[in-house]
Amino acid sequence: MEGFIAVLAALPLTLIVTAGAFGIGMIGGIPLMLGLQSRIGLVRGATRLLVDIIRGIPTIVWLFLLYFGVSFGGMRLESLPAAVIGLGVISSAYLAEIYRGSFQIVPRGQSEAASALGLGNKVTFTWILAPQAFRTAMPSMATFLLALIKDSSIASTIGVAEMVFAATTFARQNPSTAGLVPFFLAAIVYVAISVPLAVVSRRLGTRMMVNA
Amino acid sequence: MSVPSLTMSTEVPTAGVEISNISKSFGNHLVLDDISMAVTPGSVTALIGPSGSGKSTLLRCVNLLEKPDRGTITVGSQTIEAGSRVSDRDLLALRRQVGMVFQSFNLFPHFTVLRNIAFPQERILGRSREEAEERAMVLLDRVGLREKAGQHPGRCSGGQQQRIAIARALALDPRAMLFDEPTSALDPEVGVEVIAVMRELAETGMTMIVVTHEMQFAREVGDHLVVMADGHIIEEGIPAAVMADPREERTRRFLSAVLDR
Repeated sequence: MEGFIAVLAALPLTLIVTAGAFGIGMIGGIPLMLGLQSRIGLVRGATRLLVDIIRGIPTIVWLFLLYFGVSFGGMRLESLPAAVIGLGVISSAYLAEIYRGSFQIVPRGQSEAASALGLGNKVTFTWILAPQAFRTAMPSMATFLLALIKDSSIASTIGVAEMVFAATTFARQNPSTAGLVPFFLAAIVYVAISVPLAVVSRRLGTRMMVNA
Repeated sequence: MSVPSLTMSTEVPTAGVEISNISKSFGNHLVLDDISMAVTPGSVTALIGPSGSGKSTLLRCVNLLEKPDRGTITVGSQTIEAGSRVSDRDLLALRRQVGMVFQSFNLFPHFTVLRNIAFPQERILGRSREEAEERAMVLLDRVGLREKAGQHPGRCSGGQQQRIAIARALALDPRAMLFDEPTSALDPEVGVEVIAVMRELAETGMTMIVVTHEMQFAREVGDHLVVMADGHIIEEGIPAAVMADPREERTRRFLSAVLDR
């Protein structure tokens, strides 16, 4: 029971890391997606390289680099900001790819019709293309979010006291009694968050299909 | 369906369209070879020809969805010179004058039918939401689809979607309308509804250029028939006359192929 309370008390940090990183990713993915589709070859190439590098480096390495390697005037990043930024950068790259794929699925006729009506590029992007792409992107974004919740546990390696960190700590402090129990409890909490999220995202996906 | 009092195209005078010496290549392939064509204000020109003849490309050059390599396009008093850089302002001004209807309707699936027609008015003409929606309802009435206002296009049949697309284009008070095979994606019995709306529009005096395989429409509604092949205009004239007695062997072959379908 004690173990359960210890793990559950760390749930807010798991959620903060996940939500913070996902928020950064949702916004950061937009410029990256635009860069990936730029008409200027140099911009396109540079963005592609950046995205591939970000995705090519393991999450744990990213967090180590940010936490141990980055300093502003002698000040190192705290563990929580390092985790949020690190996972946020990775999310940006993955979501940029998801966005790009979704925009490609929007039929060409949509932007043609907007052009023929005389709508400008910005209005067309914001009101015609983006909402349609977003609907297509939703299920993939939800899948990514589910993976991100679990990946947030990697933040424990740089000392963010989220659920896995709490479970580890509890197990160390009670070596004779705890055993694997704290990890088992953590697993239950992860599942308790993931499964409803998956169900909701599938429901949303189906409803949007009907209205599309 | 016909409500003659709802004259909507008379608020803005219709404009003529003049295409002069237009050429266009895709890579090495010359799609349009020095085409010239004049459409007088308020007239209906039917553009026919085998697929790959360049008729759709020519139509898309009129509102610069395709940029011609050479030549000029004149709509009303606005002339656009190909090759020169067209400013965004000129481009929007041209497109504001010309409405277009596509083979695949291209309604916005995430908007209701009403928003499809009202949204462009608000953005392009600066109409208020009430004003734009009121106008949209008038036009939906006109195409016989008032009851569809609150639904999404996905719930409408192809023929209904195409009539909504026509209403969407008309809502912007265009001075000329382009139709790119508006019934080709529809079953014949549904195409009839769309043809009826177009016929009515022609009667209001709208300038229309219609790429089509509907020979009956071309003959009965068209003032002028243009036959294209391989990027050239091979024959043109009064529709009934061209159809009854084509000068060119290729026109003859094309006509008999289409009429036999």
